[in-house]
Amino acid sequence: MSELREIISTGNDLAAIAAVDAGCMFFGGYPITPSSEVMHTISDLLPRVGGAAVQMEDEIGGVAAAIGASMSGVRSLTATSGPGISLKAENLGLAQMAEVPLVVVNVMRGGPSTGLPTRVAQGDVAQAKNPSHGDYKSITLCAGNLAECYTETVRAFNLADRFMQPVFVLLDETIGHMHGKAMIPTQEAVKAGIKLRKTFDGPAEEYKPYGVAQDEPAVLNPMFTGYRYHFTGLHHDADGFPTEEIETCRKLIDRLFRKVDEHRDEIELNEEYMLEDADILLIGYGSASLAIKEAINELRKEGIKAGMFRPITLWPSPEERLYELGQKFDKVLSVELNQGQYLEEIQRAMGRKDIEKLTKTNGRPFSPADIIEKVKEVF
Amino acid sequence: MSRIVMRFTGVGGQGVLLAGEIFAAAKIKAGGYGVKTATYTSQVRGGPTVVDIQLDDEEIWYPYAIDGQIDFMLSVADKSYQLFKNGTKEGGTIVIEPNLVSPTEEDRKKWNIVEIPIITIAKEEVGNVITQSVVALAIANEYTKALDEKILIDTMLSKVPPKVHELNLKAYELGKKYAQESMKK
Repeated sequence: MSELREIISTGNDLAAIAAVDAGCMFFGGYPITPSSEVMHTISDLLPRVGGAAVQMEDEIGGVAAAIGASMSGVRSLTATSGPGISLKAENLGLAQMAEVPLVVVNVMRGGPSTGLPTRVAQGDVAQAKNPSHGDYKSITLCAGNLAECYTETVRAFNLADRFMQPVFVLLDETIGHMHGKAMIPTQEAVKAGIKLRKTFDGPAEEYKPYGVAQDEPAVLNPMFTGYRYHFTGLHHDADGFPTEEIETCRKLIDRLFRKVDEHRDEIELNEEYMLEDADILLIGYGSASLAIKEAINELRKEGIKAGMFRPITLWPSPEERLYELGQKFDKVLSVELNQGQYLEEIQRAMGRKDIEKLTKTNGRPFSPADIIEKVKEVF
Repeated sequence: MSRIVMRFTGVGGQGVLLAGEIFAAAKIKAGGYGVKTATYTSQVRGGPTVVDIQLDDEEIWYPYAIDGQIDFMLSVADKSYQLFKNGTKEGGTIVIEPNLVSPTEEDRKKWNIVEIPIITIAKEEVGNVITQSVVALAIANEYTKALDEKILIDTMLSKVPPKVHELNLKAYELGKKYAQESMKK
């Protein structure tokens, strides 16, 4: 493992610092609790490295500006909370369709609607899979501790450039606002790991931005560099011009799926905590996993062998690993701060319905005691 | 050291958050783990605010204080005091601002209730109400002996602008003095 550095900070600040370390040069957004500190911090950091942060007139303007900046070739970020994603949805769909790389940090709070602004929830997991209408494959990462607010934001920028689409980083109020120690990679290591989007450097007249292999993303050269192409949310051909031609339309959506599906190994990331000798499998992600870890340690003191599987990449889901774990463990408990949004995916991937669930949607975190009690009740 | 769990409560706008950050950062600098969380309402001012601080040599996963495990609580608003007092261990210390918090007789039997006029000290003796969080910091450290005072003060100074270093040092010293006097009673 490469050298790590210690930083004392909050999850929101770590996401902002990570973006700048990953080479982000533009932020467009609008403040919203509990994500506002991402904007505050990056507004301070970006001008120091020659970048720009703009508070736009609303959430829609924020994501639109970020998409525009990305089309000019720079790494670009927006940050918000669930209500902001609802407003940004149409533009996120545009970025999926036109294949614009973008990182979207969502610090989740209680919903639906304006919900519980200052309180924790994990209610935007289903939204992150399909925030906009139409068919596309979401890439969604979810930080489960302070260090991951940094590392997952960095990873999101590299994945956005690799797959040419928006990548979500889900934080939640607990992780975003908690203040403590994080051991994170050095700036040098992050810089060395930056993989920018591909560009085409042949003759301009041969440039076909969307004329790529069926499992690969578009190659969008920065605008204003002499490589002209058409940019649209309509179904489009290899040059980007609108078309309704049957085979072109079929292939376009097929490719938006396959570019992600056929490269899941580059995206998937999980943590397995004390699973090797466990009898009981707990599945959770984000801040809920902090209470789960504490609960597992307590349960083990009483001789109850529990372990945790934690997807760090939520979408696409780690379906093969979930299937294997579903075969291995009889006793499975899903723990999430919503009514079971990921439980449905776990059931699908495992191919079984007999999974216990612990859910909460009152804006309060799980305590380790909640989890211990549930484990003792159902197993 | 075994885990030290503290809770600071007030209402939004009073600025109790900063003391928590200083404690967590100072413990990390001293070697170990410190975590601060804040829970507040969507009211900009006046809503109950609670700051949980946990300090340990071992890694801390769950970032909130668990009710019943709180060693030390400090409260500068009655509404928050009433809401959160039951998280404190029986026999634990609760420092209150006596002008703003009214504990019951039962409370006084259950916990070691200490009255220190934190806000008056900050406002009148230090000369700036904002320094109440540093007064509180000093009191909390005197009672819990959580951290080496020098590391705590250095961390505190690193988080406030240089032009108010003197003022905050004064706030720290006054908090310490009042805490020590309250222990003699």
